[in-house]
Amino acid sequence: MGQCLRYQMQWEDLEEYQALTFLTRNEILCIHDTFLKLCPTGKYDKETTLTMEQVSSLPALRVNPFRDRICRVFSHNNVFSFEDVLSMASVFSEQACPSLKIEYAFRIYDFNENGFIDEEDLQKIVLRLLNSDDVSEDLLMDLTHHVLSESDLDNDNMLSFSEFEHAMAKSPDFMNSFRIHFWGC
Amino acid sequence: CNSSGVNGFSFSYPENLSLDSSCFLSPPVNFLQELPSYRSIARKRTIILSRDKPSGTLLKPTDSYSSQLEGDIAENLNSQSIRKYALNISEKRRLRDIQETQMKYLSEWDQWKRYSSKSWKRFLEKAREMTTHLELWRKDIRSIEGKFGTGIQSYFSFLRFLVLLNLVIFMIIFMLVLLPILLTKYKITNSTFVFIPFKDMDVQCTLYPVSSSGLIYFYSYIIDLLSGTGFLEETSLFYGHYTIDGVKFQNFTYDLPLAYLVSTIAYLTLSLLWIVKRSVEGFKINLIRSEEHFQSYCNKIFAGWDFCITNRSMADLKHSSLRYELRADLEEERIRQKIAERTSEETLRIYSLRLFLNCVVLAVLAACFYAIYIATVFSQEHMKKEISKMVFGENLLILYLPSIVITLANFITPIIFTKIIHYEDYSPGFEIRLTILRCVFVRLATICVLVFTLGSKITSCNNKDDDLCELCGYNQKLYPCWETQVGQEMYKLMIFDFIIILAVTLFVDFPRKLLVTYCSSWKLIQCWGQQEFAIPDNVLGIVYGQTICWIGAFFSPLLPAIATLKFIIIFYVKELSLLYTCRPSPRQFRASNSNFFFLLVLLIGLCLAIIPLTISMSRIPSSKACGPFTNFNTTWEVIPKTVSTFPSSLQSLVHGITSEAFAVPFFMIICLIMFYFIALAGAHKRVVDQLREQLSLESRDKRYLIQKLTEAQRDVQSQPA
Repeated sequence: MGQCLRYQMQWEDLEEYQALTFLTRNEILCIHDTFLKLCPTGKYDKETTLTMEQVSSLPALRVNPFRDRICRVFSHNNVFSFEDVLSMASVFSEQACPSLKIEYAFRIYDFNENGFIDEEDLQKIVLRLLNSDDVSEDLLMDLTHHVLSESDLDNDNMLSFSEFEHAMAKSPDFMNSFRIHFWGC
Repeated sequence: CNSSGVNGFSFSYPENLSLDSSCFLSPPVNFLQELPSYRSIARKRTIILSRDKPSGTLLKPTDSYSSQLEGDIAENLNSQSIRKYALNISEKRRLRDIQETQMKYLSEWDQWKRYSSKSWKRFLEKAREMTTHLELWRKDIRSIEGKFGTGIQSYFSFLRFLVLLNLVIFMIIFMLVLLPILLTKYKITNSTFVFIPFKDMDVQCTLYPVSSSGLIYFYSYIIDLLSGTGFLEETSLFYGHYTIDGVKFQNFTYDLPLAYLVSTIAYLTLSLLWIVKRSVEGFKINLIRSEEHFQSYCNKIFAGWDFCITNRSMADLKHSSLRYELRADLEEERIRQKIAERTSEETLRIYSLRLFLNCVVLAVLAACFYAIYIATVFSQEHMKKEISKMVFGENLLILYLPSIVITLANFITPIIFTKIIHYEDYSPGFEIRLTILRCVFVRLATICVLVFTLGSKITSCNNKDDDLCELCGYNQKLYPCWETQVGQEMYKLMIFDFIIILAVTLFVDFPRKLLVTYCSSWKLIQCWGQQEFAIPDNVLGIVYGQTICWIGAFFSPLLPAIATLKFIIIFYVKELSLLYTCRPSPRQFRASNSNFFFLLVLLIGLCLAIIPLTISMSRIPSSKACGPFTNFNTTWEVIPKTVSTFPSSLQSLVHGITSEAFAVPFFMIICLIMFYFIALAGAHKRVVDQLREQLSLESRDKRYLIQKLTEAQRDVQSQPA
């Protein structure tokens, strides 16, 4: 596993990335360094990609119970280009606007990708959060039922995007917890 | 439930149409995705995905869709910046190019407007980026957040906020009071001090025996440093140094008494406004629903995981704390249901028990307050004895007796309260909150009791000093310069508090950690375990220090600077203690809960600090022997005297605003406005409930129709051609 050739980011590219994402200069350069360290041997060019396993093993995502979903949502054709990593970091940055975070949180939590967060998704979320082997059915049903009774406004046992958006706008911890600021440097 | 699907699309109502929603199976998701409402929301979110999944696919991009996207952009051009779109970077580039080509078709004026707003936004961002670099302790707090979670990080953010607050308070006092004096003293500007001679006042009131001893022993130097007496008494640390009536510059005379009073009012108002602003920031959410907001399950499950955790052990801890928290919440709900189902005789029994226990709590509080009163009286009486006649330790003990008693009370009462609350049979969450509230009250009320004891001693006259007391309005013999003495008490409290925090960290936390690490074979040590970082106790400690600073800043202008230094040192000490001696507790505070709690406690401290200050400023006559208010009866009198120097129209305006004829109608109007808003909030709540009901009814209708549609389609398909 060798290092890629040192690729200096052009200044125009940096400016462009700053304009298109919520990241600061230092953050973009930092992510660029991390990307270079991980990319396989050979020439680095704009088409170099990382696999989902490589991104999952980044320190920022290593212990996250939703890392597989995050990788699935932000990757294209199961690989990550540099710009995909930047998009991911931009959504998780501190300066990102709430609507963007809510949008991606909805996609991450929608395990079966049917456009709604239904009971099956909720149960999977709870299991991932608790990360324990002995979770009783009652506990799962109870928690799912509570979440739905709070946020399911039209009583269809699923959360549509509007309902999720509404619930997260009222949640005081969402913006603070949906944040990653350490990408490797 | 029967439903008869008929040829074509004419339905007939099923015979037994039960209103049970379980009758309707959950509709196939494909149908829901075709609904116009879903599509318009999806367009707003600009999903452009092309996944090939066999079942349950998201909206596929179509050609018409991408042109729709451009159409949307043409509609709301630049309504939001490109970053906010949920697209990846290459798509954003395309979007930006489209936007720029669109811009060409605009008029010159619109183009210029857009360009200038863009550059302004970019400038703001750069400025924000620079200010985040200047943020104090940014890296430390980030690393604490990554290792210990957001609950403990909020404690350190709170500490940083207090450092900044004290620094700003000190800047205000420096600008208004210290700067003119320093400029004159060190002859930087060509100004002189103004001393207005005494009017018809008794010379006896102005006697201020300054203790000057020939030989100063070393330990009396230490005692002076620790208690603010002796050589420190005349320095600018205390009120008594500022016996100046004005500073005469070239063009005008700077009124120092007015500046002193204005600086006090300014720092109290600034603290209040800053705290309220900070608490509103965290509360931008409308509390439409009940107050169980922080306990909302949505919040705990969707925002439950801190995505910034990078540490494996911290992640395990977070998992276990989530397990604990979710189970505890469900348990709490069960207990609340049980409470609601109590019989009336059980309720009677519980309430009478609670009444009795609250009386016990009040008795404990009264005992604490009485102990502090006795200690303060004893300390004040014996402080007047000759220093040289006393032994070193005894001297310090008497000087610090009130502080020691307060600290003991603050240590014992929480233990008593936690024992008592078990018998009061509340739900677990409420138990914790009530215990914390009681501890907060004890901590902060003890300072008030101390100050009131001092106040009563100052204004009380016993027989011996009858004549002098009545003449001057306060006990001149014992307290020739009473503000300085109150300032000294506050100074002692602050120093002692600081010493205790350092001592506890050094002599309790670190040895405990060493014992647990190296002698873990002993059963007792294992039981005791490592220190946990208890957030409520730590927060109460620093709020206690801040309350002392607020009260003391009037009597001792340099106290905020000392408080700033103290909090900076405490930050580093607590950080080291956290990193090296503490293990994270399984019960974790949430950041949103914590912020609310910290600011509430701070606000209570501020309110409790304002009370003694207002009483001493307006009721107790200011000392005639020292300080800037020698020419006034009370400190507050500066304001009426200044108002009387205004031009007469302004004077009559001020008199009009402060008269009853204005105040009563103003109060009534404010009450009316408040009632209006309360009624409005109630009406809104009713409307929200009605709309929710309507929404669920509409959804049921939708599901029914979809059900019918699928059945009809099935029937059509199953029919032979």
